[in-house]
Order: sequence, then structure tokens, then C-alpha cells
Amino acid sequence: MIDNPLIETRALTKEYADLRGGPVTALDGLSFTVHAGEVFGLLGPNGAGKTTALRILSTVLQPTAGTARVAGFDCLTQPARVRHQIGFMSANTAVYDRMTAWEMVAYFGRLYGMEEEPLRARMELLFDRLQMQNIRDTLGAKMSTGMKQKVSIARAIVHDPPVLIFDEATSGLDVLVARALLDTVAELRDQGKCVVFSTHIMPEAERLCDRLAIMHEGKILAAGTLDALYQQYGPGNLEDIFFTLIRQGGRAYPRPHLGAASHSEGGTGPRPTPLVASKLESTS
Amino acid sequence: MQWKNVQLIYLREMRDQLRDRRTLCLIAVLPLLLYPLLGMSFFQLSQFLRTTAAEVCVVGAAEIAAEDWLPPLWQGAAFDAALFPRNAPRQASLQVVQVAELAEKSPDTASKTSEPLALAALAAGDVQVVVCFPPGFGSRLRLAREALMERSAAAAPANIPEPQIYFNSTNEKSRLAQLRVERVLQNWRQRVMRTNLQDSQVPLEAARPFGIQPQDVAAAPQRQAAMWSKVLPFFMFIWALTGAFYPAVDLCAGEKERGTLETLLTSPAQRREIVWGKLFTVMTFSMVTAVLNLASLGVTGTFVLAQFQSIESLSAGTGLLALPPASAVVWLLVALLPVAALFGALCLACAAFARSTKEGQYYLMPLLLVILPLMMLPMSPGVEFNLGHCLIPITGLVLLLRAVIEGQYWQALPFVVPVVGVTLGCCLLAIRWAEEQFQRESVLFGESERLDVGRWLVQLVRNRTATPSFAQAIFCVGAILVVQFFVNLALSAGAATRELEASFFTQTVLVSQVLCIALPALVMTWLFTSARKKTLLLDRLPAAGWVLMTALLAMLVRPLGMEFAEIILRIYPASTEITSRIGAFEEALALISNPWLLMLLLAALPAVCEEIAFRGFILSGLRRVGHKWWAIGLSAVAFGVVHPILQQQLAAAAVGLVLGYLAVQTGSLLLCILFHALYNGLGLLMSQQITADRVFQTPWCWILSDGDTSMFQPWVLAVCLIGTVGILGWLRGLPYQHTREEQLQEAREQQFAGA
Repeated sequence: MIDNPLIETRALTKEYADLRGGPVTALDGLSFTVHAGEVFGLLGPNGAGKTTALRILSTVLQPTAGTARVAGFDCLTQPARVRHQIGFMSANTAVYDRMTAWEMVAYFGRLYGMEEEPLRARMELLFDRLQMQNIRDTLGAKMSTGMKQKVSIARAIVHDPPVLIFDEATSGLDVLVARALLDTVAELRDQGKCVVFSTHIMPEAERLCDRLAIMHEGKILAAGTLDALYQQYGPGNLEDIFFTLIRQGGRAYPRPHLGAASHSEGGTGPRPTPLVASKLESTS
Repeated sequence: MQWKNVQLIYLREMRDQLRDRRTLCLIAVLPLLLYPLLGMSFFQLSQFLRTTAAEVCVVGAAEIAAEDWLPPLWQGAAFDAALFPRNAPRQASLQVVQVAELAEKSPDTASKTSEPLALAALAAGDVQVVVCFPPGFGSRLRLAREALMERSAAAAPANIPEPQIYFNSTNEKSRLAQLRVERVLQNWRQRVMRTNLQDSQVPLEAARPFGIQPQDVAAAPQRQAAMWSKVLPFFMFIWALTGAFYPAVDLCAGEKERGTLETLLTSPAQRREIVWGKLFTVMTFSMVTAVLNLASLGVTGTFVLAQFQSIESLSAGTGLLALPPASAVVWLLVALLPVAALFGALCLACAAFARSTKEGQYYLMPLLLVILPLMMLPMSPGVEFNLGHCLIPITGLVLLLRAVIEGQYWQALPFVVPVVGVTLGCCLLAIRWAEEQFQRESVLFGESERLDVGRWLVQLVRNRTATPSFAQAIFCVGAILVVQFFVNLALSAGAATRELEASFFTQTVLVSQVLCIALPALVMTWLFTSARKKTLLLDRLPAAGWVLMTALLAMLVRPLGMEFAEIILRIYPASTEITSRIGAFEEALALISNPWLLMLLLAALPAVCEEIAFRGFILSGLRRVGHKWWAIGLSAVAFGVVHPILQQQLAAAAVGLVLGYLAVQTGSLLLCILFHALYNGLGLLMSQQITADRVFQTPWCWILSDGDTSMFQPWVLAVCLIGTVGILGWLRGLPYQHTREEQLQEAREQQFAGA
């Protein structure tokens, strides 16, 4: 299991042009590996670079430097093959308003190249397991947030991919739905999937992740299993470790020009660099 | 690209759009209701049109009434029916009012004399026209008549006072009435003349020795076709654009707004497949909108036309109106496909660029501003169906469509290839542009950045890349064209004021090469790139063998180029203006006696300047697009466009392809300069030697053909062609230096190769 990581990033760097402050480094030499059967947590404040990193893994963005490989395929040169191997779900991946739950999942199943019969069987299984039979014929526009989240999960795992990427997937969900989602993720890990899970909510990370990386300003400040982190930084909880690390990092949280303000929040304070902010944050 | 994915995306998008009530309304319901409603309101309006008669006030009626020999001008409140020979209904549209009646209506004005009274009524809008017969009009007419009957010229009065027609040109009704009254008076004058001639026993033919009868040789169906050929393409294209625009905005900007685009981008569907799927959807809507509108207009039109004939007052002049012939409809449908593809791709690219639906809607206006003039251009009278107009996108298609609708198949035939070529090229370019928008991260995820031109320029220079960007290359082409335009204006102004002399010609060539072409490219290279030698392909020296091969290639391609230019001239003959320009150029050439100077000016200088610009800066920038053939093709088109004469542009673009390929495969600008200089130099040498009287005195005359269809012996052309293909094949085998974008593109195209 240790020998063949399903996800491997090496010195991943992403820069954006910015008229005011010159180029902004959103990711600064990010390296990590994730294996099958584990949940790897990316923990960090808004604007730490989590979404950028995961978008590069999902091939939606291209890295400025460094490499990212998923299941042996290069994210830059073999993006279509990478996308076959992953299920990606984030707060930004919405469901279609004018499609029913069944149509939506079937559409993506077909895009993943599944044949009609296996697709049908798989969808019946998924709709049962995720308790979605009652919203089978509901249009996306008429679904609650929880229903949409279920459809998104079904959409992401319909082709049974070895790698799953959840980017701030619990944001905006109530406790019940968030709990159900975390249970699903744990179940997927138990099935042997390789899961990357980004969040800024500490208890979630503590509950779910086998290994963690604490990110800030595009860099990994510390990484390892929870136990290892406790050993290294002293007992307590993750939040304490997090604040210790960020203080050591030498900057106050949050970084002013990459602050939490965004279109979804309409935050106050200095306006974030728009291009970067939209790419870096996805949380509300 | 997997067509299965394209099909999946297409079917989904179609279903999505059909479930959207607004789209359905715009596409299907609107046209079905619009035309019947328009037709209905037209009839409502025509009711008003028919009820109003213009009032014509007559001043000085006594002048006419006193002369009983005059033919009647009016009877009661209407002009005499005989004065409306071909249009009886018009009689009712004019009502005669005597000035005395006006005075009765408003007694307070009784003190005024009759003419000011009538004019006051005209100013107040009570009457629309005032006709004044001046005092002495009747009696002078009678004197003239009597002089005619007695055949005595001396007795005739010198001048008969002219009746005046007063009207108000700012009032539409008054203007119309004036025209009609004038016609009535002209007819009346005819009748007076006829009466006079009859009574004095002069045959009528004395005043009108012969008549004139215009005869239109166009048959009625042809006339209809000619009319429809102007209206229908315009109408259909507008609807095709409208039908494409709204779905495109919804499919791109709308999806970004709703957050589903990222969902789709993380699926295995490739960007290209997404673009094509969406493009087919937009095209479908574009075509359906156009067809539905045409059909609805046709159905409504049939009813309206039937009604038209039944309304007598409106039926005059509508004899031409009939439904378009079936062939016209077929040709329209044939043209609809490329039009929908072009508009669809353009709309898609614009919509992909927009961040929100609202922003997307803003782009309709600029798009219309670009496309409308291109559609209107063929309607202006001076625009003929020739090569120049054919090469203008959309305009060429409209002209071709018009020609085939009018049944001029043979005249249209030579232009099919350029029109289809240009349309196809534009389609591909637009689709490529749309694809490009889907690749760009700043477009997909970017939010608007505050506009700051100064900082942007500073950033461009400060963060310059090794080689120029695609946009910078395109900007360079634009800069060259703009500088060229102004320099040409200045030069032609200079040429008009002074005699043609050698020094002026030398200056002209120097300025147009160095200032217009080399300078913009060099300045931009210096400003925007960090690897300048690499940008201009000057970072390595070519091997001796490559130099020889290039020289050989130039010599082999030259005869082919000349033959190609001949063929172009034969299919698309030069206009007299162009011939005279070529003549002036040749005259100027003759002024320069030193052959080496001539070679320097027309072979070496353009080779250096044009290669620095087109194969240096521009090609380097275009190659950032990631596909060498796109870069070579676009740079060749740019190279063609900067040449002054149309026929020359085509030939230059063809050579531009060879030069671009040479530049990419060898990576050496020096070789391109060598090729270009030799190519130009050989052409110059040949054209100097092959003048009518010296042609067979040259030592190499044996390669020339003595027929007039071709310049060279067929075997010479065959040898050149085989040699060219051979050397191009050799070039193909060279390990050319890929740009980073080309490497990435190639790797991505091969990602499924081992699977």
C-alpha cells in the first residue's frame, strides 16, 4: 500500500498574474502523497491554497511548476485519463437545475463511458444506498441543499473511481447532512478508495482523516497522522496545533489581501485580489 | 475527440434548453405570434391610411371659370376624373376646397384677401395644398390659343403667369398631396394643349411625334427572385444570429453563473468535446429560429398579400409581390448551415468570455455592429459580385446566395471556392477561438479585475515572457496594417504633388518596408519579450546543407508561384484600376537604372523586413496557440493581407505557407530571409527579361512555353512541383523545436495512445 501512492504531487506551484501586487503565489512547492484506503486531509484557512491544489488534481487548472500525478497519470499532459480516475466534488460543483437526479447521474455515468446495463445497476445501488429513490425524478431546481449534495456524491462516484476528491464539501450543509456526508466518505475509505478531503473545520478533520496536512499561504506547515502531530506539537486538539503553527509561520490569520471576502460572503475589509480570491476560496 | 461525448453533451444541452420556458418562447412562440400580430396591426394602420383625403384649396378659380373653352379641372369637390387616367382611386384622395368656402367657415378672417387667407389655412394645417391661379392666367391662355389658331406668333403673349402650388414639406401628407396635385395639373395642361391643337386643326403628333415604351426583359418570376434575393438572406441571417445568441449565453455564461461548468469540466469530457456539443446545440437553435421565422413570415405573407390585392387603394405597385420561388428557399436552407455554424461559434466564444448572463447580453450589440454592416454591404448598389467582395466574410456568402437565388449559376461558379473557403476558415477560426476561451483559466474562473491600463502595460513589459503571446502577435499584425494605412495615405498625397522620380520611389520602398513592417515588429520584440533572439529565430546558425536546400527550394517554388499568380489573374481578372497601378509601378521600376539597387530594394530589403515581422515576431507569438499549422496558416494570411493588390495577396499568402513551414521546421530566420530574397530576386529577374520583344533572346528561354495558357513548359512545372514536394518532405523529417504549448498539446493528443 505504501509503495504506490494514487496521488502524488511534487513541488506543485501555481502563480497568478496580478496587476497591483505583481504575480501572486497561490501554491508554493506543495508535495504530498495519498494512498489507497486512506483519507488525506488538507486543513487550512480560507485562501491557503486548498482549492487551487485540488483543482490542479482535478485538471481544471494547470500548475505553473511542479508535477501532480493521479493513479500514475500526469495531470498536465494526460488530463482526460486523470479525470477518468477521479470523482470530484466541491462547493463549486453544482447540479443542473433543469435535470432530474436520475438524469444527472446517468449523464455523468455515460460521460465516464459506462455501458447502459452496468450503469443502471450501479445507479440503482447508489440511489438505494444514498436514500435517493424518493428524489429520483425531482428537478435540480426543486431540491434542497441536502438533496443536491446527495446527487453530487452519486455523480462523483457513479463510475466507481479509485480516487475521490472532496473540496470543502461540507460547507453550507446543516449538521445532519454534513454528518451523512462524512459517514459516506468514511465508508468509501473502508472500500479502499483514496480520498483527499479539504476543510477548514477542525473537528471534521479530526474525526475523518488518517493523515493531515496543515496548509497556510500555499505551503504545507506540518503533515502526518494525527498521533504524530500530537506527538510533535504537544497534546491538546488540532485547533491548538493549528494556531501554534500559523503563529510560527510569522503572520496573522487571515492574510490581508487573500482575506475571507468573496462573492459568496460579501465580506468587509480589504478587497481580495479578485482573480486569486475566486480560485483560492470556496468556503462561506 | 470522442463524438459519443459530443453527442451526449449535445443531447443534454438540447433537453436543458427545451425545458427552459424563456428559450422556447423566444425560439418557437415568438415567431409564430409575431408575424400574424404584425400583419394585423398593418391592416389596422391601413384603415387610417384610407380614410384621410387631402384638402386642396383653390385660389383664383374665377380665372378658369371665365374661360369656358378650357377642359374641366374640377367638378364640385373633386378634381375631374379624366385627370386620373391610370389611378382612379387617387381621385378620392384629393378634395377641392374653394377659397370662398374657407372664408365662410371663419368669418373673422373675411377682411383678408383670398391668397393670404388660403396660406394661413395651409399654415394652420386646415388644408394641405394651396393652388393659386394668378390674375390674368385665364385671359392670357385664351390670347395664346387665339394666336395659335390664327397662326400668328406676334400676337401670342410673351409669358403666361404660372400657377403656384403651395405646400409644407415638413408635413408628409402635404408633400404627398402636392405631388398628386402637380400630376393633376400636368395632365390638365396636356388636355389644354390637346384642345388647342384640335381646335386649330394641328395634328396631335406635332406636339408628341413619338412615345416611349420601356420594356423589362426580366420575366415576372425573375423579378420576384431578384427582389427576394435581396430581402431573404438579410432576414434569415438576422434571425440565425438572434437564435444563436441567447442559447449561447445561457450555455456558457449561464452555466458559469449556476456553477455547473466546473462539474462538467471535471468529467472526462474534454474541453473540445464540450465546445462542439454546445456549438451543435447553438447551431440547432439558430437554424430552427431562422426556419420558423421564415415559415411564419411566409404563411402570414400569403394572407397579407391576398388581402393586399383586395384593397384597391393599396394594390397598385404590389403586382411584384408574391411568395419567393421554391428554389430560393432551398438555397437559403443550404446557406443556413454554414451561417449557423459561424454565428454559433462567434456567439459561443463571446458568451464563454462573459462571466455572467448579464455580461453576456452586453456582447450582442458589438457582435451586431460587426456583422450587420457585412450583411448590409451587398445591398448597396455599387457592390458587385467579384473576387474582392467574395473574400469578405458573410458579405461573400450573401452575394453568392443572391446570385444562385437569381439563377445566375455560371456567374457564381468561380466564386464558390473562395466564398466556401473564407466561410469555412472563419467558422474554424471562430470555433477555435471558442475552444480557446474554454481553455483559459482566467476566463473560466476569473472575476473582473479593476481596469488599469497603465499598470497593465507596465506589467506586460515587466513580466515579459520569453516569446510573445498570441494576442501580441495579432496586435502586431494590426499595428502593421494601421501604420501601413497612414503611411500610404501620406505617400499617395506626396506622389500626387511631385513628378515620379527614382529617389521618391526608393524612399517609398524604404518607408513602406522599414517603417511599416520591420519597425513595429522590432519595437514589440524589444518591449514584450525576454528571449529576443529566440523570438526572431536568430539564436542559431543554419548548417550549410540547409542553406543549399533552401536556395534550391526558392528556385523551384518561383516558377510555381508565377504560374499560380497567372491562374489567379485568369480566373479573377484585375480591374482597370489595378492594371494602371501595376503599370505605374513598372514605370517607376524602369526609372532605376542600377540593377543592384533594384535587387536591394525589391528583393533583399523586403526579405529582411517582412521575415523579421511575419516569420519572426508574429509566427513566434502565434505558435503559442499550441498547434503549428494554425500558426503557419494564420501567419500566411497576415502576410497576404499586408500586400496591396488583391490578386497579389492570394499569391503571397501561398508563399507565406511555404515560408512559415520553413521557419517552423528549421527554426532559422536566416533561411527564410534567403528564401524570400531569392524568390523575389528571381521573380524580378524574370519579369525584367520577359518583355514582349526580348522573351526568346534570353539564354534560358527554352524553359518558357510559347502558348498563351501557361508561362512555362509543362515539364518545367512538373519538375518544380516534384522538387518542391521532395524538399518539403525533407523539411518534414527535420526534428523541429516544439514550443512548450505544442509539446503539451501533442502529449494531450496522445494520452489515449497506449490505452
